[in-house]
Amino acid sequence: MSEQFQPNVVAFLCNWCSYAGADLAGTSRIKYPHNLNVIRVMCSGRVNPLFVINAFQQGADGVLISGCHPGDCHYMEGNFYARRRFSLMNELLEYVGVEPGRFNMSWVSASEGAKWKDVVAGVVEKAKEAGPFDQFRRNKINW
Amino acid sequence: MVDLEKMRTIAKETVSRDDVRYLIGWRQGTYGFRVSPHFMKGPEEAEKLIFSPLCSNNLATYLTLTEKLPVPRGEQPDSRKIAVMVKGCDSRAVVQQLIEKGIERERVFVIGCPCEGVLDLKKVEEKFPGILSPVEVEWSGDKIIFTLPDGVKEVPKGEVLAKKCLSCRYPNPVMSDITLWDEVKSLGDGNYEDVKEMEEKNPQEKWSFWKDKFSSCIRCYSCRNVCPMCYCEDCVLDRLNPQWINRSANISENSAFQLARAFHLAGRCIECGECERVCPVDIPLMALNRKLAKEVREQYEFEPGLDPESKPFQSSYRPNDKEDFIL
Amino acid sequence: MNNKPKIGVYVCHCGVNISKMVDVDAVTEFASHLPNVKVVRNYSYMCSDPGQLLMREDIKNEGLNRVVVASCSPRMHEMTFRKTLAAAGLNPYFLEMANIREQCSWVHEDREDATGKAKKIVSSAVAKVRLLEALYESEVNVEPATLIIGAGIAGIQAALDIANAGFKVYLVEKSPSVGGKMSQLDKTFPTLDCSACILTPKMVDVAAHPNIELMTYSKVEEITGYVGNFQVKVRKKARYVDMDKCTSCGVCAEECRLAGRIPSEFNENMGKRSAIYLPFPQAVPAKYTIDPERCLFLTRGKCGKSPKCVDACLAGAVNFEQQDEIAEFKVGTVIVATGYDVFDAAKKPEYGYAEYENVITGLELERLVSASGPTGGDILIGKGENAFVPKEIAFIKCVGSRDKSVGNEYCSRVCCMYTAKLAHLVGEKIPDANVRVYYMDVRAFGKGFEEFYDRVRREGVRYIRGNPSEIFKRGDKLVVKVEDTLTATPLEDEVDLVVLAVGLEPRKDVREVIDLLRLSQSSDKFFLEAHPKLAPVDTATDGVFLAGCAQGPKDIPDTVAQAKGAASSALVLLSSGKVKIGAQISFVNEATCRGCGYCVDICPYGAIELVEINRMGNILSVARVNDALCKGCGACAAGCLSGSVQQRSFMDRQILPQIAVLGVMR
Repeated sequence: MSEQFQPNVVAFLCNWCSYAGADLAGTSRIKYPHNLNVIRVMCSGRVNPLFVINAFQQGADGVLISGCHPGDCHYMEGNFYARRRFSLMNELLEYVGVEPGRFNMSWVSASEGAKWKDVVAGVVEKAKEAGPFDQFRRNKINW
Repeated sequence: MVDLEKMRTIAKETVSRDDVRYLIGWRQGTYGFRVSPHFMKGPEEAEKLIFSPLCSNNLATYLTLTEKLPVPRGEQPDSRKIAVMVKGCDSRAVVQQLIEKGIERERVFVIGCPCEGVLDLKKVEEKFPGILSPVEVEWSGDKIIFTLPDGVKEVPKGEVLAKKCLSCRYPNPVMSDITLWDEVKSLGDGNYEDVKEMEEKNPQEKWSFWKDKFSSCIRCYSCRNVCPMCYCEDCVLDRLNPQWINRSANISENSAFQLARAFHLAGRCIECGECERVCPVDIPLMALNRKLAKEVREQYEFEPGLDPESKPFQSSYRPNDKEDFIL
Repeated sequence: MNNKPKIGVYVCHCGVNISKMVDVDAVTEFASHLPNVKVVRNYSYMCSDPGQLLMREDIKNEGLNRVVVASCSPRMHEMTFRKTLAAAGLNPYFLEMANIREQCSWVHEDREDATGKAKKIVSSAVAKVRLLEALYESEVNVEPATLIIGAGIAGIQAALDIANAGFKVYLVEKSPSVGGKMSQLDKTFPTLDCSACILTPKMVDVAAHPNIELMTYSKVEEITGYVGNFQVKVRKKARYVDMDKCTSCGVCAEECRLAGRIPSEFNENMGKRSAIYLPFPQAVPAKYTIDPERCLFLTRGKCGKSPKCVDACLAGAVNFEQQDEIAEFKVGTVIVATGYDVFDAAKKPEYGYAEYENVITGLELERLVSASGPTGGDILIGKGENAFVPKEIAFIKCVGSRDKSVGNEYCSRVCCMYTAKLAHLVGEKIPDANVRVYYMDVRAFGKGFEEFYDRVRREGVRYIRGNPSEIFKRGDKLVVKVEDTLTATPLEDEVDLVVLAVGLEPRKDVREVIDLLRLSQSSDKFFLEAHPKLAPVDTATDGVFLAGCAQGPKDIPDTVAQAKGAASSALVLLSSGKVKIGAQISFVNEATCRGCGYCVDICPYGAIELVEINRMGNILSVARVNDALCKGCGACAAGCLSGSVQQRSFMDRQILPQIAVLGVMR
């Protein structure tokens, strides 16, 4: 790593709002940092909280979960479950010393391409500040 | 007041019932301060039953572990009740198991034992080291009376009680079919001072604390096995496909295991403290569990294991759940 | 079949859309070294016919059994490439898209960074595609019948449309007659059509239609099943009158000991009826009903020597032995047309509705001006000798609408126009009346509405902008205390009659319907449509549609239009006779399921239930997914502590490798 630290953020996006919002940022040619990679799921409610722990283990410096705004969930309630789960996951991670800012959750709708950019920029920036995550990263990762 | 005679009488009556398979209580362990679960199948075994500050085991754990052996063709599965003796905290485990359908109400007979607090054996063995012959211990107001080989000793409760008991709000069973004696006053207000203290620290301090603790984990899974809420027949945390957590014991896998374990108990942990009690390397597991219990209680006004009719925390939501952490 | 993955990776240039920012050759070269990758190609437009042909031939010639397309968003072309796979004889779900356009080339500015990211995206897709499983869509038959709950104008219209298309309709109405709220109206805005004149022919039609089974005075008790296959149980309440014998001559009602003593619901409790009654003269079916809560014989077991109605009925139709009947049938679709309640004006105590007899609601005035109403169409306030014809009349709008203090933030959409209509009708009936309307805004948005509002003002109705704060009595008069906000003048207006333009609210018994069908409510507590713009008559439950005010306040034209929309949506299913069931749905590993029921609680569609299974003689409870109800959100999978519920194509073991790839690649 020669110059500045380039963080690695893993993001879980719901298909209907946030993934569509990220697509919209693309069609609108909005530019944002390249350090965030997306795993598409159908609903933020699908994101198993253990994915977050696993992502940190596997080398992520930051994690983002993004879903529809409350009340907009394509499946009506999935984001409400996600909100409850990840609020606690957020508390738990901070409690054991994972820096605030490494774990993030956002609501980004299919029309919020610009917000998606802000979210990515913000999350990447925070991960950059926090530096490489090494608290409980695996030494050897196979896939 | 603890009334052993009454306890044994009721136990005899209970196991003699046609619809009761066996009774789970406590008996003197093999040495020193140890207490063992007592699986009592006939009235003649009642004399072995005890109830004392040593009875820390949460016997509710055994309810979900009942082995379901293959039933020979033409026979019916044994549908008799299992009777279990519970302290306040243990009763919450029973309630939570009912909420999660781990057990059925008509399959258990709950005998409530109001409890004035159990001992932290680590504190006790430090005070009275090297005792191998069985010891009798009793509550007496704000003291604990030890009948040791070299005489009777009185110790203030605060010095030897388990930490969870000092702030316990539920010393009396929240649910029982029969309660053995009068209810007792709760010792604490269930505050989360210890959790708050940890929250005050900066991330580096927090992690150096937990790194130290997690590194020592040997992944014996005792914490999980003793937990009354952990009764999946096939635990995801040591499953091979998919393999969430590798089996090697190192800081990465250990941390992931402990975080996942704590998270799975969010809104379910009834704070009996068994995980911490059985941990061979003294990881303060309750500090993790209690952090989540605190959030669940403070942010969501929810407490597990109180109302068998309530909806489980993890499978419910409120439209106005807090979301100040969301971008 | 050899299951070892043989993956083809197809990198698309998308003209220059991708290749301008991503080094496609480098990505191709990189992908060729990924595990299990057999073929890697790049092409200018993968989605074009030659591009797809490339894939199809490789699948056949190279024996590929998995495909990664690195191109645009799966939201764009996943369907296209699934078809390509299927055309080559491969299961269409052995496809994973790597979105290197919308989420890579289009959003990054550094070619090196973008290329690096494209490699990660492709790797992640390869990691996942290796573990994908073949999935199959299934179809279920659709029972060619519809249940319509509620026989107001919405239910009637939907029933007629579906029945005319040749399908069976079960039309269930709670009250003794069809017609709903519209039957209570006198005239309709803005054309002043007589409500009964346009409604009654349709009411008669639904009763006579060979394809419609009308069940009035009936209640849907249970609906189980799923789209195409709903099992319905309806309770037909006992009328204590034999429908086949009753000639609706009405002698029974005249003879009833309680004749003229029971408030008539149809007349908003202003007129009186008997215990055996026809709700209104044009009621359909024209059959009498005995009110079991009022009838002396039914409540006390005794009515003189013998019930007078029994003696009076020459047809022998009265039958106190009649029992409730349960009807059970199967339908493919359900239309909810349960309508609304009017706002209870007593919830605004400052207007004195509960206190003063000359404060009435719009619907009450509607009954007063109606020729079939309690006064025969005369606007008479008060009872008996004290009754008088009001001259000074004030309307107050937005009562119970646009009002946070009563919990109704929404606009009820009809009050502006029905106020204008009633103001006009008052002018017709009492030519020397002085009519004013207190309003916040006038919303005359429909066809002919603004013109009608103009006409009413030209007729002399005064519109005064202000929201009255209080109504109190002074002598014989009512005083409306209000500020004219356009001139900032406080007024104390003395009037004879105040008419409250009450808004529309969800029905008080809305809970019953929610429990029947697991419908959701929007924040206004009306039923929630599947999408506010693009699926306004659908609900989250497939095969269940909404019509009329059950979904939100509407006027009659909108209600009819929506009813026709709901009917057409239902007909799409009925006429195709089949419904496709998604493949990427959840399933349960019963061997590890602990039967806690978390997934059952979590599922927004009620698609999961606990069932008992026999495992070596022991009865265990485990979760089971109803494929027809599951919509594939996966919320159950994330909530399952034992990992026993999984969502196909999004299984834990398929996602974890993606995490690993994205984590490890820098």
